[in-house]
Amino acid sequence: MSEVLKVDGVSRRFGGLLAVNNVSFAIEPGQIVGLLGPNGSGKTTMLNMISGALKVSGGQIAFQDQLVTGLPAHKIAKRGVARTFQLVRSLPSLTLTENVLISAAYGRERLWGAAALDKVAENLALVGLEGRGDEPVADLTYIDLKRMELARAMVADPKLLLLDEWLAGLNPAELQIGVDLIRRLQQRGITILLVEHIMDAVRATCARCIVMSAGAVIADGPTDQALADPEVIRAYLGDDDA
Amino acid sequence: MKPFLFGLLVIGLLAWAPLVLNDYGTGLLLGLTGYATLATAWAMFSGPTRYVSLATVAFFGIGAYTVAVLSETLPYPLVLVVAALIGLSVSLVVGLATLRLAGVYFVIFSFGLAELVRQTVTWYEVNVTGTLGRYIFLPLEARHIYWQLLALLVLTLLIGIYMRKSRIWLALVAVGDDEVAARHAGVDVTRTKLALFALSATIITLVGAIQAPRWTYVEPTIVFNPTISFLTLVMALLGGAGKLWGPIVGAIPLFLLFEWLSANFPNHYSIILGGIFILIVFAVPNGILARLETLGQRRKGEAQ
Amino acid sequence: MFEHLINGLVLGGTYALVAMGLTLQYGIARIMNLSFGDTVIAAAFAAYVLFTALGLSPLLSLLIVVPAGFAFSYGIFSLIMRPLVRRSANSEALEVDSILATFGLLFVIQGVLLVLFGGNFTSYSYLNVPVDILGAVVALNRLSALILAAVLGGALVLLLMRTRWGLRMRAVAISASSAPLVGINVIQTSRMAFAIGGALAASGGVVISMYQTFTVTSGVVFTMKALIVVIMGGKGSLPGALAAGLILGLVETFVAAYIDPGLTLASTYLIFLALLLLRPSGLFGKAS
Ligand SMILES: Nc1ncnc2c1ncn2[C@@H]1O[C@H](COP(=O)(O)OP(=O)(O)OP(=O)(O)O)[C@@H](O)[C@H]1O
Ligand SMILES: [Mg+2]
Repeated sequence: MSEVLKVDGVSRRFGGLLAVNNVSFAIEPGQIVGLLGPNGSGKTTMLNMISGALKVSGGQIAFQDQLVTGLPAHKIAKRGVARTFQLVRSLPSLTLTENVLISAAYGRERLWGAAALDKVAENLALVGLEGRGDEPVADLTYIDLKRMELARAMVADPKLLLLDEWLAGLNPAELQIGVDLIRRLQQRGITILLVEHIMDAVRATCARCIVMSAGAVIADGPTDQALADPEVIRAYLGDDDA
Repeated sequence: MKPFLFGLLVIGLLAWAPLVLNDYGTGLLLGLTGYATLATAWAMFSGPTRYVSLATVAFFGIGAYTVAVLSETLPYPLVLVVAALIGLSVSLVVGLATLRLAGVYFVIFSFGLAELVRQTVTWYEVNVTGTLGRYIFLPLEARHIYWQLLALLVLTLLIGIYMRKSRIWLALVAVGDDEVAARHAGVDVTRTKLALFALSATIITLVGAIQAPRWTYVEPTIVFNPTISFLTLVMALLGGAGKLWGPIVGAIPLFLLFEWLSANFPNHYSIILGGIFILIVFAVPNGILARLETLGQRRKGEAQ
Repeated sequence: MFEHLINGLVLGGTYALVAMGLTLQYGIARIMNLSFGDTVIAAAFAAYVLFTALGLSPLLSLLIVVPAGFAFSYGIFSLIMRPLVRRSANSEALEVDSILATFGLLFVIQGVLLVLFGGNFTSYSYLNVPVDILGAVVALNRLSALILAAVLGGALVLLLMRTRWGLRMRAVAISASSAPLVGINVIQTSRMAFAIGGALAASGGVVISMYQTFTVTSGVVFTMKALIVVIMGGKGSLPGALAAGLILGLVETFVAAYIDPGLTLASTYLIFLALLLLRPSGLFGKAS
């Protein structure tokens, strides 16, 4: 197995808008890859297509050498792709434990009972929510909800983790904890595709970056090079001017 | 062990009741058990997923009408099986077609389903069999019907208890909260909804089939009476559709109230019913039990 | 054939008129009103009473029934819907609440009509004279119903498309959350839309009473059909409601004429289902 994820000529159209335009890239196992770009450049749309939340308008996506294009989200999740959402999606009728448990129960291993609860507790501890499993998620703060989402993604033992601005909204101290956490996930052998606007965090975690603008990839390479690319600078500055 | 013994005791008492009650009492108990089962079965699907189904009487009527059509030709237990199978098939077709869509389309479709089934049955009877209205002659007394309903209610509750301990409950609640999140956690949302809708509809069909012999004469307008959908919904909502015991807690007072109303205000029954329902929507949006629970939580919160 | 076409247009025109009312209530006021068809039927009974008791022609009774429909719906919105709109945290909660509350209202209206009129089929004979149009024989009452539906529907479309007031309505339909930013009072606009929707329902009831038999319980079917038309046409779209209403009326008339009158509702459902599965956003709605 060479690549964890291979995106080949993928496009997505919303009516007249081409939100993702013929994008191709591949990710090697164990990498943390940054997916950057100004607002509205198509990053979330790209993640949505990889996780099966949206259908592609054209192109192919392969996960661990098998085509997953067109598969429903739950099947892709079962193969080992987990994600967090830019706008947190919690299950407010359930407790913190149950919010994470569902992903263990319906994930690759279909755990249930004591084994599942152990695994949930372990992952709650991983994200810094130990001992709080009985709290209703409706009462959690935004930051804790983001932690919950990461625990829910991790409890399924994913091969590929998609993080959509998971670090957004953290204060500097929390940001440092978050960055350390992401690095620790990498040490577990998880491949991560990270959408992020905070450049310090990107530099601290990603060896490689893919930069999108207006739906197309405009740079792809080692982080320093990609961020120094004149076209990338123009894309971001142009965005600021607008 | 204790709740188990207590449960057996209650079931035993309830089963024994018609032997000492007069006809009126048995009839009342029968009607109540019927509605308790309907409301519990309704809430099994609609409670956690929040897909409001207005189709109860479509399935109830299918059950009753099947018995009316087949009671002469097949042995009774087999008639029940056939009724259940028909209810199951219809619910699968309806579910497959509508459950993939947003909740509101489902509500609309279920709202008209009873009328559709009623008109289709009427059309079929008039054009194909040439009869409209059928007699049911089955050697079943009120208490026999009541015992069957009681057994079905117990079975429904057992399924409910089991479900709440299994992962499917988590999936159903998740579907009600956020389908996208549920999908990405690995839940096959469409299949989960379909399975539960079909289970709930099949139980409702059976209630109709079992109760059918209570009417000796059956025709589409009688068995597809929309008030049944309405009452079921109101009972489940009042008691709290998300709780195992909620629908029964709602069914008891409302059934007695409705009995009293229809005996004393037969002409204004539907007006009062509608008015009460509007009040319920205003007063207890999440049902009485859910409300008690939130109050309890608040008190706990203050104590800490 | 030509005769069926005209009858289909009459029926379709009526559906379109009624559905425009519902699309105002659902698309702009965001209230899914399950008692809508019962408002229609109540108006039909009112026209019946005015005709048989006072000898008032349906055209004149419009002048009474339509304002009454407006006032009734205005009152219902203020009394029942507004508190629900206020307390609802999101549009989903409002949808469920309004469905449940109007479901209750349905039984109240039906109950009142039942007390007043009983459960029998009702109709009256007005302008029941055949006219000949290009060889097809059509009852004059149907023809006037069609003209009436066209005039009322046309007036509404003009109002919405050409006036500032209409612009406000459309703004709320497109985005209720950003309308306040440009100084639009959403609750007021919603109430207006809901009341006008009720007025249209009432006018639809009068039109229907001119050429159809109705009973106290026919409301459910009208609600269903209006909902189907609204969804087919795309929620909140008047041209969509017009086109979808006409399609539905034509299909029903032809099914009744060439297949079986007992299967019209089934055919309506079939169209609805096919449409939901193929184009969930409606014929004229934006594909998402
Ligand atoms: N469901 C949708 N329907 C229509 N247009 C959409 C939809 N989702 C995204 N878009 C559009 O596609 C474009 C790309 O959006 P996307 O959310 O992928 O951007 P992004 O790179 O994630 O931006 P941000 O940094 O702000 O999160 C935007 O113009 C957006 O408006
Ligand atoms: Mg994004």
